[in-house]
Amino acid sequence: MPRKKAKRGKGAEGKSPQAGMSRRDVLKIGAAAGAVTVLGPTLLSPAEALAQTAPTEPVICSTEPADSPPHTPFLDNFTAPFPAIPKILSPAPTEFRNAGGGEADRAPHQRWAEFPPDVTYELEAKAGLHRFHSDYGQSYIWGFNGKYPAPTVLNVYNHPTIVRFRNSLPTTTTTFGKNEITIHLHNGHTASESDGFAGDFFGTGFWKDNHYPNIYAGYDDFPPDGDEQEAMHSFWFHDHRAAFTAHNNYLGLNGMYLVYDSKDPGHEFNTPGSLRLPGYYGITDFPLILVDKIFCPTSGGRTELFQEIGAAAAPTGDKWVVNGKIQPKMTVRRRKYRFRILATGPVKTWDLTLIKPDGSVGTMTVVATDANFLEHPIPVDAGANAANSNSPTPGALRVSVAERYDVIIDFAQFPAGSKVYLRENQAQFVGNPSPVTLPPGLAIENVLMQFNVVNREWWFPPDTPAIPSTLCTYPTLPATDNTFEWQFVRDPVGSVPRLFRVNGQVFDAEVPSHCILQGTTEEWLLNNNVGASAWVHPVHIHFEEFRVLKKFVNGVEVPVPALQTGRKDVMRLNAGEGALIKMQFRDFLGRYLIHCHNMNHEDAFMMVRWDIVPTPEALLECQDLMARHRQEEEQRLAELRKAAGLGAPKEEVGE
Amino acid sequence: MKRRDLLTELVSKSRFVPHPASPGAGRFTNALLRTQDDEEVRFYDDLIRGRQVVINFMYAECHGACPMVTATLLRVYRAMEERMGRDLFFYSITVKPEADTPAALKHYARLRKADLPGWKFLTGSAYDLETIRFRLFGMSHPGFDLDATMHAGTLRIINDATNVWTAVEAFASMKAITKHIAWADPPKSYAERLAESMDRQVLIDSDVKRYGYRRTV
Repeated sequence: MPRKKAKRGKGAEGKSPQAGMSRRDVLKIGAAAGAVTVLGPTLLSPAEALAQTAPTEPVICSTEPADSPPHTPFLDNFTAPFPAIPKILSPAPTEFRNAGGGEADRAPHQRWAEFPPDVTYELEAKAGLHRFHSDYGQSYIWGFNGKYPAPTVLNVYNHPTIVRFRNSLPTTTTTFGKNEITIHLHNGHTASESDGFAGDFFGTGFWKDNHYPNIYAGYDDFPPDGDEQEAMHSFWFHDHRAAFTAHNNYLGLNGMYLVYDSKDPGHEFNTPGSLRLPGYYGITDFPLILVDKIFCPTSGGRTELFQEIGAAAAPTGDKWVVNGKIQPKMTVRRRKYRFRILATGPVKTWDLTLIKPDGSVGTMTVVATDANFLEHPIPVDAGANAANSNSPTPGALRVSVAERYDVIIDFAQFPAGSKVYLRENQAQFVGNPSPVTLPPGLAIENVLMQFNVVNREWWFPPDTPAIPSTLCTYPTLPATDNTFEWQFVRDPVGSVPRLFRVNGQVFDAEVPSHCILQGTTEEWLLNNNVGASAWVHPVHIHFEEFRVLKKFVNGVEVPVPALQTGRKDVMRLNAGEGALIKMQFRDFLGRYLIHCHNMNHEDAFMMVRWDIVPTPEALLECQDLMARHRQEEEQRLAELRKAAGLGAPKEEVGE
Repeated sequence: MKRRDLLTELVSKSRFVPHPASPGAGRFTNALLRTQDDEEVRFYDDLIRGRQVVINFMYAECHGACPMVTATLLRVYRAMEERMGRDLFFYSITVKPEADTPAALKHYARLRKADLPGWKFLTGSAYDLETIRFRLFGMSHPGFDLDATMHAGTLRIINDATNVWTAVEAFASMKAITKHIAWADPPKSYAERLAESMDRQVLIDSDVKRYGYRRTV
């Protein structure tokens, strides 16, 4: 096969795919390329345009500070990120790539005619300045529209959306970020070309339209509006650039994306089908975006995010940041509120408890896990509901990277004037005493944020009814067509040291590790049980939600914990753990990912590709591609062994 | 061969400018090392400053991963030959300096047909080499950092001119390795990137036509 020889540049011409192209296609593309080459420089000169507005690149302290600068607790207000404002796009979105208009290369949008966009947005990835605390100078960040957190994109089911992601990041940077992006909507039911595949990144000066049809998964089986049992509500979008995901996310390239429907309509009126949960965005319904950061001392007016180029991992923070602010305060009325908790990583796991004025653990009622309503709400606290906690911290909600938990907190139980706290089990560095007396047993270092309870003013929305005891029913899963196992491994195999791997493989954008026929259902065994691994892997699967059928600890089946009984898209696997999950592959085709969402592990390539293919013939071809690749790799390794003067493989067998 | 090496080095020294945010000798160290040709070199000033480099750790008597990694690097070298010693350099650093004298490394390099321009095998004081290993390959994990053999399978890719650092497993596919090296390349103009993107589009379209989805690019 010529594939083996095909490398970058000239070698690629040797590939055969052009065989399937007509001469007319080639001419068409050639003409477009010509036009673009001529027009390109005048149409798009991002560097010059950017130079006018972009903040100067940061000067980052050369050694990791022992502590970030101290801050005064509860100085800043907790707010929701501003909603993204729809924008009429120019040039208008098109099914095929608009190369002349500056769009990055991509496959044509799938099912474009069926899901023409109703609403369009533009989010521009660019450098900006953000103040994480009033005691601090501004910090240089990369954010969508220059903001951290990014504007929240609000949507309605069955109203397809285009989000145009424009890359206006600086052409050179003193940060550790990589100015190439590919944006994944986690966990959108999205066609592959709009899914932010890790290998599909594009550079400064280009844009790319991500087509989000906002349909329920399994759309084809339930015309015309789909099956609302498949509803998901709390999504987030973030950069997925291979090998630089942790860096670009640490700099701020992520935000939230909510989709409403009749059950969860984004308001609290008594409309048909509505659950009437707290639902006014930014008033009674808030994203709660968690991230840890470490800052350099303030100099020249700036307090920069510390980052170390080439470090094995993005830095571990000593400040807990909630919606872009350190230890903020929030005024809450005596009524119910909804918080959509999201941990954006790169690494940190959160163990959150609600601390009442008397120091005891209050109740947070989980209504949704990873964007999916639970069949029945699950209250979590350290008393009657202690067994529902998924954390080693009593009564806590454990949130791993990329997980979302929608919780309802009822502040009506507290008298006006009370102060209630959200506690994180790991201490942060504060450097100042608490300005108020904290509840007994609560240290200021553990406070994530403060709630000041006040009486509801006449103009503030009245409380919503009690949380319904049944929120949804789960869709029935069809019979299993196929089973597969994914093994997440870090430990060395034999004498050869290994990076993070899935099934012995590291990420290769060009080869799938598993092929799936569209419309089938599979059971996957996710395993983190090789050797004496001490590593935790929050495993994320793109495209559809799964159900956890069984859970294993060191090979022994254990009951599935309450908070994992619903639909999910991130499965935390502690060392020695495994899970049997079941999911479907419907409506779209293409390349998708399964990976560890600890972004450091993901960047070390604990990530592999799987494909959804249209026909049984395509399935055979896909499997053939995998087999040929495996054969080539085996042959190459054999040649290497021979060149190295080694005999037949011994240690590598475990691979 | 040696003369060419010397010439290109003279040229490159004036050509390569470190990135303003390069951590410089403070991070890389300027340790005095010796090559397989017994030349004295300063690690940062002579080998890293303003250059794109691929670094691995090895030792001459290793009969496991090291020779395979060297064989892999040799293939990468052949694939990127036109850049080698000009704007791309390989450095194979020993983890056993007490045994690996310049002569021993020369023997190893010759045996593996890797005694080539732009590819240096380096030895030095154990302290310096360990410092470099920690600074460039540290995983912040004692299980890995304290065991010198743990990094034998990793290729460290650094471009001091673009300040891009990345790494790839030596046993990844050749395509994956060359791609990773390219991720640290000097920045390309918009026109160049557009041309590449147009080439890729042709392959994507033909993929979609042939398989129903983008499959091979």
